Amino acid sequence: MIISEQWLRDWVRVDLDANGISECLTNAGLEVDGIESMAGSIDNLVVGKVLEVSKHPDADRLSLTKVDIGDEQLEIVCGAANVRADLLVAVATVGAKLPNGLKIKKAKVRGAESNGMLCSAAELGLEESSDGILELDADAEIGQRVDEYLQLNDNLIDIDLTPNRGDCLSVQGVARELKVLADAGYHPLDIEAVDASVDEQIDIELEDSVACPRYLGRLVKGIDVDATTPLWMQERLRRSGVRPISPVVDITNYVMLELGQPMHAFDRAKLHEKIIIRQSVPGETIKLLDDSEATLDDDTLVIADAKGAIAIAGVMGGAESAIDDNTVDIVLEAAHFTRRSAAGRARRYGLHTESSHRFERGVDPYLPAQAMQRATELLLEICGGEAGPVNEQATSSEIETSAVNLRFERLQQLLGMPLEHKEVGDILGRIADSVSANDDGWSVSAPSYRFDIECEADLVEEVARVKGYDNIPTALPRIAPRSIAASESSVNIRQVRQTLVARDYNEAITYSFIDPAQHELFSNESAVILENPLAENMSSMRTSLLPGLLEALSFNAKRQHDRIRLFEIGATYHLSGDHSYAEIQRLAAVVMGPCQSSQWGIEKPKDVDFFDIKGDLEAVLGLTGIKEPFIFNEFEHIAMHPGQVSGISKKISAQTDLQENSKGSQDAGFVDLGFIGRLHPKLQKQHGLPANVYAFEIDIEKALLAELPAFQGVSKFPSIKRDISVVVDHKLAVSSLLVAVARKLGKVLVKTLVFDVYQGDGVAEGMKSVSLSLTLQYPDKTMTDEDAEDLTQKALAVLEQEFGAKLRD
Amino acid sequence: MPATPDANLEQILQQAKAAVAAAQQPAELENLRVQYLGKKGELTSQLKQIGSLPPEERPKFGDLVNQVKQQVAELLSQKKTALEHEELAASLAAEKVDITLPGRGISTGGNHPVTRTMQRIEDIFIAMGFGVAQGPEIEDDFHNFEALNIPPEHPARAMHDTFYVAENTLLRTHTSPVQVRYMLNEKPPINIIAPGRVYRCDSDVTHTPMFHQVEGLMVDEGISFADLKGVLTHFLQQFFEADLKIRLRPSYFPFTEPSAEVDISCVFCNAKGCRVCKHTGWIEILGSGMVHPEVFGHVGIDSEKYTGFAFGVGVERLTMLRYGVDDLRLFFDNDLTFLRQFK
Repeated sequence: MIISEQWLRDWVRVDLDANGISECLTNAGLEVDGIESMAGSIDNLVVGKVLEVSKHPDADRLSLTKVDIGDEQLEIVCGAANVRADLLVAVATVGAKLPNGLKIKKAKVRGAESNGMLCSAAELGLEESSDGILELDADAEIGQRVDEYLQLNDNLIDIDLTPNRGDCLSVQGVARELKVLADAGYHPLDIEAVDASVDEQIDIELEDSVACPRYLGRLVKGIDVDATTPLWMQERLRRSGVRPISPVVDITNYVMLELGQPMHAFDRAKLHEKIIIRQSVPGETIKLLDDSEATLDDDTLVIADAKGAIAIAGVMGGAESAIDDNTVDIVLEAAHFTRRSAAGRARRYGLHTESSHRFERGVDPYLPAQAMQRATELLLEICGGEAGPVNEQATSSEIETSAVNLRFERLQQLLGMPLEHKEVGDILGRIADSVSANDDGWSVSAPSYRFDIECEADLVEEVARVKGYDNIPTALPRIAPRSIAASESSVNIRQVRQTLVARDYNEAITYSFIDPAQHELFSNESAVILENPLAENMSSMRTSLLPGLLEALSFNAKRQHDRIRLFEIGATYHLSGDHSYAEIQRLAAVVMGPCQSSQWGIEKPKDVDFFDIKGDLEAVLGLTGIKEPFIFNEFEHIAMHPGQVSGISKKISAQTDLQENSKGSQDAGFVDLGFIGRLHPKLQKQHGLPANVYAFEIDIEKALLAELPAFQGVSKFPSIKRDISVVVDHKLAVSSLLVAVARKLGKVLVKTLVFDVYQGDGVAEGMKSVSLSLTLQYPDKTMTDEDAEDLTQKALAVLEQEFGAKLRD
Repeated sequence: MPATPDANLEQILQQAKAAVAAAQQPAELENLRVQYLGKKGELTSQLKQIGSLPPEERPKFGDLVNQVKQQVAELLSQKKTALEHEELAASLAAEKVDITLPGRGISTGGNHPVTRTMQRIEDIFIAMGFGVAQGPEIEDDFHNFEALNIPPEHPARAMHDTFYVAENTLLRTHTSPVQVRYMLNEKPPINIIAPGRVYRCDSDVTHTPMFHQVEGLMVDEGISFADLKGVLTHFLQQFFEADLKIRLRPSYFPFTEPSAEVDISCVFCNAKGCRVCKHTGWIEILGSGMVHPEVFGHVGIDSEKYTGFAFGVGVERLTMLRYGVDDLRLFFDNDLTFLRQFK
């Protein structure tokens, strides 16, 4: 809310300048976002009266004027179209310096002498732009300083109010707050009742007195259709960020800004019979003041007449009952709509108004009567007319305020500091209507406008706020240790990150929502869809990290990076039954480009292939210390190259058994962890990527369950290495050879290394040669050459028997 | 007249000296050794002449020959050592490398700056004794709003710009629902932080629809506002590794009362006033407050017995302030040129 310093000072006497006021408010939770200064003091700027106007002999658009500024009459050339005799104007005389930097000098304009300037509103810094010169009201005195008359020495204080402080959405409210905070002199308006001068009134039917405990309507007849809003009021509205529209609308806005009570005015002639306050009928429509049409639900409070809704209560009036230039009889409305009845209604219809903003936050239920009198007073003064009696419909069961207790001991304990009993009592006295001390502390009746004081904690905050948060000491609590040292039952995520970082991966963080079109390229799963996405291409919750990583990879490929290695750790989101959702923590990586960066002294590095990224994945999986090898098996994935993709799974070990079984069934003692492979060439092409892309994605909670190292004993006896090369069908998976050999030789085989896989000269078509290096060792005796030879023959025998493997010559 | 045997020896010694001095290669030295000291060497053959001498001269001559032999052996050994040194020196000189050429191999990548900050925050709180808790990102209305004293249509909901996936199901707008989940399951004393992704339906220069927060919660008997101040001061001073000041301002969060906005003295200008702090000397850094009794009511904790504080801090904001990043959107572009600045 923007508030004029000068207006505020009408209400409160405080020994602080605008900055001081701002600091005081900010430190108390009414955060001041900024202060904007008006023009300030301007010397040689006075009220003048135009005596004569004649045409400039040599310029069509210019006029020669004679202006009375009290102690002298000046001849001034003026270019404004609205200059005319008898007008009261702001005259900048020689020596004046205007806010836009213009310095007024004696000048000749097309041969005519000019001793000053008649100013426009823009030239005085009142408006951004304006047509013609500013026309002052009749109460301006000739010769009076204009900066005083227009209160140019003003600052506009922009307060960012939190939703609990709706009571401060007015000059009155901020003044009250300063009274509490700075113990300032508070001078509320003395509002007197305006007696009715005609008997006529509007009938009001208060159907829903729960949503609207109080409704006041007042007929004012015969207002002057030619009346204009006085300049002082226009200025105050403008400085509060409200555009002046017409006298009646301006007056209702003015009262709202001044007192905090939103008001509305209907054209009596357009009302059918009476005013009814009721809930909307589903499907009912209303054409609103902003020319939009709202179709109402069954839960919106409306003001209606005999024919239909004429306003959404506390939000916006209807176009069909709106006042216009010819309106002579009006009905003023001042009502209390409860916070509950106002909550969210404006948003429901895509609206947000000054009125709804206030009712949602709570308006003082006792304010409508005051506001009605104030508005009537201003209306009669500005527009004339005859006021009827106030028709007030109210229920007795309205707004109860119960006293809130504050215990002195509790207050001190919560703030962690000792306090003076008297000081607290004084603070409460400034806030509340009535405060009574009791055995434990105080019983406080909060004022009707303080909806935010409902419980003891609220009073604790009030005391702390007024006392100043800065005055609360700093302490360190005893902390019962909750941190759990890293468990060895699963690999710490930080180790995973370190491992990949050491392998030259950069961590990426991509959005959790992706383009549904991208989702479909990676998965057949139905995704969780956002009902209100920011954009269509951010509407599908990811079921895989790969679409996001691929986008990041493309982004970098387009920016001259040729070697790109990214990983991400994060959740994927899944539907699991009706209205039930599952999140899975995953690790995914994408790589493209040379397997090493180019460097001196080695040949140009080859591009990464399947086995490079497989090595990276194995390094991560290796952190688990699981002896049983992870299984790479046949797999299909729509986004992956069908010949270069593998599923990853592992046997359920004793350790993981419990956890897996409790989660549900797993086939045949294996648990799927994810997949690895090359991005399908069609996707690579679609993304315009210049080289093959490899990727993996695993479920980290499952994949990173770790095994405790189990000591095996270290053999003191030498080992023997034997190399064998066998020729097998080229389609045969090398892993099956390894499994067969391992099974056959048992623990004596301490290590197996695949050191060559070859197809070509010397190997028959459709066959491949696989070379294995076997390390053989006994735990308790020396392995002899004969033993080694015997074991090697056994290995060859099992390979021949199971796979038809032939020893290569 | 034949030379005397002594003169002969002297001559051989001089020849040997000259030959050893002239030798260039270890192999030449070996040849010289054979030539002079070998079984058929010149000095060895001198000894064979000993029989032709009068018996009284024999011992003396024998000594003399041995002396000369020793001298020659010594010369050969010295020369050998010298040649080896030369050879080593030459090969060392030849093997000199340009030590300024870059090292070879694989370079290292880096964690995302948001991760870097989250890990630092976690480390600071873990060192204080806090645990780390997690909760789902797809939340229900109860945990995200209702239990936090934000009933339906509360004006505070307008500040949250919520993404919905279904009725009453949403992407959490803050990490505060983890507080609720934790308090529903655990009894005080509670001291945890909850880091994670959060979502708001908002995107402009200073907002991304997804960002990260760390929630903090401490509940025990006798926890006070002064404790909140103390814990946050410790955290912020550790995080920025600076003896900075903190300032609390009253604010409003439905789930805390009293509530406070926390400012730190500007780390860029030492609170003298600069562009970053908008010349106020203060930077707004997090929201906090004492847990509202309503929240305790929702999770079944006796608010008469226990009190507590909670806070929530934006990870991107801390990262920007710590490393001087000036554009929030960089965090989710994943531009390697950006990421590689955070090794």
